[in-house]
Amino acid sequence: MAVAGSGAEGHSSVWELAPGEVRHAGIVHVVMLALFTGIGIVVGTFGSLAVPIGFVSAFWPGQAVQAIGGVWYGMWGGIAGTIFPFISNSLSGSAPLPVSLAYVPANFVQSMAAGWAFRAFRADPSLRSGRDWTVWIVWGVLVANLFGSFWGSNVLVFFGLVTRAAWPTVWAGWFVGNTIPSIVLGSLILKYVSPLVVQTRGFTKGYWA
Amino acid sequence: MRRRKTLLGMVPLESPLYQFHPLTRMIGLVVLAVLPLFVLMPEANLVFLAALFVLFAYARVDISRLRIYLPLMVTVAFFMFAITVLAPDRRPDDIRLQVLGVTVYYQPLMRTFASYIRIMAMLFATIFYFSTNHERDMLVALRAARVPFAVSYVLGLSIRSAAMFLEDLTTVRQAEQARGLDDSGLSIKDKLKMYGLYLIPLFTMSLRRADEISNALFARGYTISGRTITGGPRPDYVLSQYRFRARDAVASGALIVLFVGVAALGWRYGAFQLADSPLNRWLAGALQP
Repeated sequence: MAVAGSGAEGHSSVWELAPGEVRHAGIVHVVMLALFTGIGIVVGTFGSLAVPIGFVSAFWPGQAVQAIGGVWYGMWGGIAGTIFPFISNSLSGSAPLPVSLAYVPANFVQSMAAGWAFRAFRADPSLRSGRDWTVWIVWGVLVANLFGSFWGSNVLVFFGLVTRAAWPTVWAGWFVGNTIPSIVLGSLILKYVSPLVVQTRGFTKGYWA
Repeated sequence: MRRRKTLLGMVPLESPLYQFHPLTRMIGLVVLAVLPLFVLMPEANLVFLAALFVLFAYARVDISRLRIYLPLMVTVAFFMFAITVLAPDRRPDDIRLQVLGVTVYYQPLMRTFASYIRIMAMLFATIFYFSTNHERDMLVALRAARVPFAVSYVLGLSIRSAAMFLEDLTTVRQAEQARGLDDSGLSIKDKLKMYGLYLIPLFTMSLRRADEISNALFARGYTISGRTITGGPRPDYVLSQYRFRARDAVASGALIVLFVGVAALGWRYGAFQLADSPLNRWLAGALQP
């Protein structure tokens, strides 16, 4: 019998159900959702306070936590990545409640783009091959942050916090501020913690279980 | 005045605000944090901010602690005004000014000023809530509002786990310091590297903790639905400690009426906008060449 997540069967093994394996969403997923939200609150608040450039952070590692959550825990990670910016933005004072609410689609995509791509392309979260790295960098980092920074910077324009003429600069600052920590920290955590995570009960092979 | 440190701020142990039910206070958060969205007139938002500071004092919040938000207020102001000066959204009839040899336009600057005051009003309304409510109050408010058990449980555990994560971070840092690591001389690049290296043990600890917590919850018969294993409603001890009284109904009703009134005046009748501002009209008149 194949052992899920052992890495012995090649790239796709972590996502495929072993014969007879039945998976249900359970309390462990709710706990992981809460723990990931908690981690996101700390990491997101730190990021917003560390190098603030107005409403944009020049170094926001929260996106790394969002993407990793989506890869490991599917929709549970996606929900965590959507919830935690509400609290971390409030704690750091980087965005009031209505602005945080307007960020929701961006946060959801930043959380789930990598989660969807790893499942769709059967990439290994432990980043064992060049293909896994490509899926991570393209979807988890670039696509996720392109959408997130596009949406988020337009939210700032909508609320009158930056001018339309300054939008390209704000968008670029946002994109870089999210992308660099995602590449550095996200890759590190995926590479070294994923082998452990895929063997835990909380790891979701589908979107919910 | 005795205060308690929470994850969300420094909360007074005694406050006249606590005579209100946590649900009333959460309605206050939603109303006060969203209300400035309908108002762009800076005078109105300044009055709102002044009222908020009166509320801070009434609630016995240590106002001196609000200094921690000063760098944020300054950087946000610098960022917004710098952008407006460097890349203004200007229209042909905007008033052109020369300030210290730099060409600026009055209308974009005034719009930025109004937006800045509005964003500060929304921010301090949110800060007010987190300065006057414990984590437990948030949970009671959600449960009183009949939000599904799973939602309030996740929120409670999230806040608790953020505190545990910080505690783990302290443990890891102290372990490194005990082995002779001195990070005071490290460059920003090396500090960022250290940050990455912290995350790996912290994530690993969280994974182990998730297993322990979920096993403990399972052993105690917790389910996602919040019902007992036999299907009956789960007794809620915390909620039974609070009563929603007549004064809560009056205060909540007044807040909702205020919200609907301002939203209707702002959206339907275009009130409280920049064009209504006496300051704006006076400045525009004075600066008109």
